Amino acid sequence: MNLSHLHLVMNHVPTIGAAAALGLLILGYARRNDHLKHAGLEVLFVIALLTLPVYVSGVAALYELRERPDISVDAMRIHQDAALAGFVVAELAGFIAWIALWQWRRRGRAAQGLVAAATVLLIVTLAIMGRAANLGGEIRHEEIRAAGESLPGGEGDPARFIASKINDVAVNSTWVWPAAEAVHFLGLSLTLGVLLAVNLRILGVMRQVPFADVHRLLPWGMLGFGVNLVTGMFFFVGQPGQYVNNGPFYWKVGFLMIAGANFLYLTVFKKMWAADFSRSSLADKTMAVSSLVAWLGVLYAGRMLPFLGNAF
Amino acid sequence: MLSWLESTSMAVWLAESPSVWAFPTILTLHTAGLAVLVGVCWVLDLRLLGIIRHVPLAAFRWVFPVIAVSLTVNIVTGVLLFVKNATTWGTAVPFFVKMFLVAASVATLVPIRAHVLGGDGVSGAGSVRLWAVASILFWSAAVSAGRLLAYLVV
Repeated sequence: MNLSHLHLVMNHVPTIGAAAALGLLILGYARRNDHLKHAGLEVLFVIALLTLPVYVSGVAALYELRERPDISVDAMRIHQDAALAGFVVAELAGFIAWIALWQWRRRGRAAQGLVAAATVLLIVTLAIMGRAANLGGEIRHEEIRAAGESLPGGEGDPARFIASKINDVAVNSTWVWPAAEAVHFLGLSLTLGVLLAVNLRILGVMRQVPFADVHRLLPWGMLGFGVNLVTGMFFFVGQPGQYVNNGPFYWKVGFLMIAGANFLYLTVFKKMWAADFSRSSLADKTMAVSSLVAWLGVLYAGRMLPFLGNAF
Repeated sequence: MLSWLESTSMAVWLAESPSVWAFPTILTLHTAGLAVLVGVCWVLDLRLLGIIRHVPLAAFRWVFPVIAVSLTVNIVTGVLLFVKNATTWGTAVPFFVKMFLVAASVATLVPIRAHVLGGDGVSGAGSVRLWAVASILFWSAAVSAGRLLAYLVV
């Protein structure tokens, strides 16, 4: 299976997943059922996470297919820009959903404004992702175009795409890339420090401290995660050639999925909140260790991009 | 002296070995060490600045062994990385700026550690809050300077 194939396998996740999350939230509003809203926010967070491999595999597919004479590069780039816009809004929605879930665990309910904001952003995500999906379908499926309609694009300045503009900044600015790298290291330190404290707590360090207190630290870890998603995506969109054929990059994305799932678990699960960790169960300890291993894996694969892979 | 360091067998091995266990692994250990060291210092700083202030400072004693181990890892790997290009680093102003920032960051640990281990154990007093702010700023500057060395020193 190549990366184009992976993109075909995964590319319905953002649209169908966003629709599922939105369905749960709307049902939650209609029935005034908080459990349904909570589930909707959890699904939204997971979809925001899974949208990352969908996006990067799509860019890899562009690199695999761009030499083929029967496929329009412009059509792929138009699809890419739409997908990038959808990705940004999806991550924003996922981030707000996470804050709402964090509040929910602490106070028994989230600020209604946050849940509403996540729902509105999710509707926007679904609209943009739906358009991106349609533009993506048109690349290879003539049957979904109206009769006689040609592919979008074909003419115009090849630098008009958002992705091309970000690429221009990444390549030509002397300071933006180095500054983003420095910030990426700061975000990494913040996330790792917070998750070390939280997971060591589960493993039995500072066991006199209630889990609710270390839970209070999680937003600082999420801040580092968010900062590194922004700077990391700047690297990827700015210079995709460094990453799309780079083995460790896909290891890194894989570790990030585990780390993200772990983050959700630490945030919402009742068992964590109520547990007395003077006698942690094997399952709790496994969660804590897997979280730390996943983050060290993210760090290792990231730092090894130039050595095990071909980034410079 | 610098060129002698660079000609030691250790430096030559680091510079010339194509093995992923040579330079790449030392550099990755240095990165992992900095993330743990700085991250744990920041968690303690956040507590001193008032996040989860009702948690006794005594509960944070565990950070000091973690700091000691990660600082040791980064001193050892840092020396190895220096030796590999001793003539370059030993004559580069940005490198000495980074070293100053690291030293200043580590120095903030002295009053902070004294407060956490010896204080009343309740909350951060006024002066220790200033040290916590200094710790956050110096570590941020040190990490940024370290990352930027790759661009400032060629």
